[in-house]
Amino acid sequence: MAGMNSSIPMRAQLAAIADLRWRMFVNGLRTKRGKMELASRVIVTAAFSLGGFGGFIAAAGASWYFVSHDQAEFLPVVLWPIFFFWQVFPVMATAFTNNPDSSDLLRFPLSYRSFFLIRLTYGFFDPANALGTVALFGVLFGVTIARPLLFPWAALALFVFAIFNLMLMQAIFAWLERWLAQRRTREVMGLLFILVMLSFQLIGPITQRLGRRPNPQFRHVLELAVQAQRFLPPGLAADAIHQAAQAHFVAALTSLLLLAAISIAIGALLHLRLRQQFRGENLSEAAARPKIAHAQTLQLGWNIPGLPPTIAAVFEKEVRYLARSGPMLLTLIMPLFMLIIFRLGPASSLRHSNFFGYTPDMAFPSATAYALLVLTNLVYNSFGGDAAGLQFFYASPVTFRDILLGKNLMHATIVAINITLVWIAVTLFYGTPKPAVVVATLAGLFFAAPLNFTAGNLLSLYSPRKRDFATFGRQNASQMTVLVSLGMQVAIVGIGIGAFAVARLYQNLWIAALIFALLAAISITIYVVVLHRIDGIAIQRREIILAELCRA
Amino acid sequence: MDLASANLAPTIVTQGLTRRFGELVAVDGIDLRVSPGQFFGFLGPNGAGKSTTIKMLTGLLAPSSGRIEILGLDLNTDPVNVKRQIGVVPEGMALFGRLTGAEFLSFAGRMYGLDRDTAAKRAAELLDFMQLADQPKKLVTDYSHGMQKKLALAAAVIHGPKVLFLDEPFEGVDAIAAGTLKSMLQGMIARGATIFLTSHVLEIVERLCSHVAIIHHGKLVAQGSLEELRTGVEAQTPAAANDGQQPTGEKLTLEQIFLRVVGGERRTEQELSWLG
Repeated sequence: MAGMNSSIPMRAQLAAIADLRWRMFVNGLRTKRGKMELASRVIVTAAFSLGGFGGFIAAAGASWYFVSHDQAEFLPVVLWPIFFFWQVFPVMATAFTNNPDSSDLLRFPLSYRSFFLIRLTYGFFDPANALGTVALFGVLFGVTIARPLLFPWAALALFVFAIFNLMLMQAIFAWLERWLAQRRTREVMGLLFILVMLSFQLIGPITQRLGRRPNPQFRHVLELAVQAQRFLPPGLAADAIHQAAQAHFVAALTSLLLLAAISIAIGALLHLRLRQQFRGENLSEAAARPKIAHAQTLQLGWNIPGLPPTIAAVFEKEVRYLARSGPMLLTLIMPLFMLIIFRLGPASSLRHSNFFGYTPDMAFPSATAYALLVLTNLVYNSFGGDAAGLQFFYASPVTFRDILLGKNLMHATIVAINITLVWIAVTLFYGTPKPAVVVATLAGLFFAAPLNFTAGNLLSLYSPRKRDFATFGRQNASQMTVLVSLGMQVAIVGIGIGAFAVARLYQNLWIAALIFALLAAISITIYVVVLHRIDGIAIQRREIILAELCRA
Repeated sequence: MDLASANLAPTIVTQGLTRRFGELVAVDGIDLRVSPGQFFGFLGPNGAGKSTTIKMLTGLLAPSSGRIEILGLDLNTDPVNVKRQIGVVPEGMALFGRLTGAEFLSFAGRMYGLDRDTAAKRAAELLDFMQLADQPKKLVTDYSHGMQKKLALAAAVIHGPKVLFLDEPFEGVDAIAAGTLKSMLQGMIARGATIFLTSHVLEIVERLCSHVAIIHHGKLVAQGSLEELRTGVEAQTPAAANDGQQPTGEKLTLEQIFLRVVGGERRTEQELSWLG
């Protein structure tokens, strides 16, 4: 074994992987698509940076105010939102996740430490991490401007808090992926979700009743909650800074050590999962069920009245794919979570103290818009899950018009189901939406959905990216798709807000319905025209798509 | 060429089929002719242009120039009608990993225009024939490589195609599964189908195929029945100049024909001293 080290230095391996990523990036620039990806990445990064800059300013301003006014005990008010954003955004917006799968590297003699580090490093480049880190820099900046001597201590506390967030996000992804991988655990998760929903139904009225008038019991519970949060990571990080500001260094150190201990515990949880992945764990359904020879029964495909058999076959295939993808299902029920978060957010115990409490009319349109937004994950990369199966579509005597129509029908079905659930949730949380609001929202949907489907169908052919429906968070989204999707949503939401603003101006929501109905007619026409031309595009793009999706 | 097929219109015809990737000419003006009922082996060294050719023949890749006619139909102008009558097992197998075997076959059947009942019945029969029926709930992604090959072949034949294109169908398949596949393919030939196959396993090609074409550096360097190729090679290479592996009076094997046609040399003398 001449020329080979007896032990492989971790640093050399990490350097080799960094070099690999760099070469992949540089080689990617050889194609026109690669250059467009880079341009899109720059624009998306700039867009996220703007958000990050806003977060930085807000975090810096609030932190400076609290520390300079000797109110550092209120720092949790800054750190809790950062924490929630950091953990919730990647789950709610998986379309923007940029976290390549590191399991491909397992074929090499990689040590577990290297694997763990690589996973964390890949995770660090996720937009949520980047934005969260920028916001923490804002806190550090604000604290330092207010009390320069606090800089080393605040830097240390916020660094540990950042590490905690990074590991927690990775742990959430890893464990969700584990729980959603198999039918049995998925059913348990589903049951838990329903129980949580039901318990929220009970909590809502109780907190409402308690919140209506000053209630000593409620105040006591609130005080207890405030005390309890001090022992949770955002509270601990804030307390470490607050105690240091008071020159209580033992208490500050205690909070910091507690935060570090929690971070280590989360790291251990992440380790449990990653260790299994490192050992080559297989989370397939087949592993969950023993081999049982069943009598072969004929399994008839679905017959959907009014649909040609080929479109029905594509629709059925899409539904089966989706039903077997726990991560994707979780993403699709996020609009309900959003409503729950808004309804039961920190200040929601007072009926009119949260956003939808002030404007309950906007709850249904907002949740509907979000229901459409979460679908972009699927719509803008329709062939990503098919991977090598795409060759079958190209080899079969079915037009891409029919294939995409089948896929879009499934997307539309999901939107319909989601909106029905959203309507029920809005009715329970905020009361039945007014007929004019429902009609305007549905008209808006008929405007926004075909536009999204059109853009999605085109991007599915122009910028496809292989997608594993079984993994959660370990996806490397196409930056061009992210950019166009982002731009499309901004434009649609802008038009929507404009229509509702005009309707409010004239105090007649039916005006919004009319505007949306006109826009819907235009967007449906665009959808039909593009769908009729999609075959030509699919044939023209076949080599690029097949090369992207069918490569090993 | 046998008389039966010589009198019929060819199943596959290409004229000046060319494919360029930038400067590289992967397939350089090849003229293929495959008659009905032929088991046609398409051979060539790595990178010779086999997969590029089969991709062009099945509509997975556009030719830079040239013409492809299958069953008398122009692939460029009438792709849907061509695809309806052919079956394909491409390089990547074209499977949908998150369906079960039965679901995938039923889906494939319906995409090729079979009604639900027929698709389901044929799916069940094919799964049984391919010995894939004992784990009905197993997802395709969890199949072994050999099982996936069998499933891909099952999907390619579910609609009873007249022409079957197979890109390395025996790669990674065990001896038992290979036997199953071979018997199915021979059955199809007996019933009049045409099979176009690429393979690196020359013994299999020699045993199965009636006709062979060899592509080298993108150009077609030999085409015909095995006997025609043998005669051609022997005529071009005097016995004294042969590779020494063929005893006088014995027939050339396909491997010997192949090596002489492509001029391949085996690197046995140069040793990698650090290996082993």
